[in-house]
Amino acid sequence: MDQLDKLKKEWQSREQELPKISYNDIYKMLLKKSSSIVKWIFIISVAELLFWIGLYFIIPEDNMKLMHEMGIGNIMYYANIIHFIVFGIFIFLFYKNYQSIQVTDNTKMLMKNILNTRKTVRYFVFYNVGMFIVSSIVIDSFFYTNSNKLYNVMDFASKGVPQENFANVFIIAQILVGIVVIGLLILFYWLVYGILLKRLKSNYKELEKMED
Amino acid sequence: MNKELEHSFVIQLEKNQNIVHKICRLYTHDQDSHNDLFQEITIQLWRAFPKFRGDSKFSTWMYRVALNTAITLYRKSKRRINTQDFESISFKIKAEEYDDTIEQQLKLMYGAVKKLNDIDKALVFLYLEDKSYREISETLGITEVNARVKMNRAKEKLRKILNP
Repeated sequence: MDQLDKLKKEWQSREQELPKISYNDIYKMLLKKSSSIVKWIFIISVAELLFWIGLYFIIPEDNMKLMHEMGIGNIMYYANIIHFIVFGIFIFLFYKNYQSIQVTDNTKMLMKNILNTRKTVRYFVFYNVGMFIVSSIVIDSFFYTNSNKLYNVMDFASKGVPQENFANVFIIAQILVGIVVIGLLILFYWLVYGILLKRLKSNYKELEKMED
Repeated sequence: MNKELEHSFVIQLEKNQNIVHKICRLYTHDQDSHNDLFQEITIQLWRAFPKFRGDSKFSTWMYRVALNTAITLYRKSKRRINTQDFESISFKIKAEEYDDTIEQQLKLMYGAVKKLNDIDKALVFLYLEDKSYREISETLGITEVNARVKMNRAKEKLRKILNP
């Protein structure tokens, strides 16, 4: 008989010295809160959804007024409507994927559903960052080409900002802010999901490898 | 109704708790994490219990939920590397059948299994628990053929560790 098979027999026939948890202690555990990875993914994902949606509500009134005065108020209004429809679709997909996570599925399916839920939120963030970059480029180039109008509308003269070089300084400041924001986002994702999903991803890969 | 359900669940888990302890012992490195994982598995089992229809054995259903929790859902609080714990594993053996070689080999094998990756560990654990390849493949979500191939590789790894 193979050494391993012999050990298998021993493994089963000998009772290992395992702890015994009493009926009452098990009962108490039912009341405890889970700290599973799925719970954390859910909390972080909802926070991300709220963060990006919330950004639209904290944009100051002045900003919208500025857009109107610059003559692009209507375009921004319709862009925002489309934006919220896309938000709605993402929230629906996130909810649907989250609901499909069942601990009673097989291991591979469970991992796949967790990763899919994450993927939805990741695409949501990609969409937002993408929109942030695209709209920054469009709006900034519009402002750049209409810098005189912007200078007057924002009344920079009374704030003591010299008009000469105004457009260049404005655009450089916008680009720097954009880079810092994107840098912080990348750092956030690298830290949070790097730590949270590393083990899950490597185990999923291991299972995928088996099916090659 | 809820009380009845709780009672029935706790009774069955208490009876089958060895399965959960064995998994906790394989996937954690100290007593605190062991207890932590045991609790998380209990919570996951309890949450899934209303859907347990009894068309399979409670223990069979438990293997799946417990392994899924250990491999996928459980968040290790701290990665503590502890290699001493293998030594503390002991098996209850009747005095007359005590065989030092087998005891040593079991310890060695236990240590070897703990060194495998999470998926291989699950495969070997189910094999040691005498589960069929069909059951193993259904638990992990791979084909039966691949379960066999993978198991042979894992066994090979173990043999090498046992016979350096």
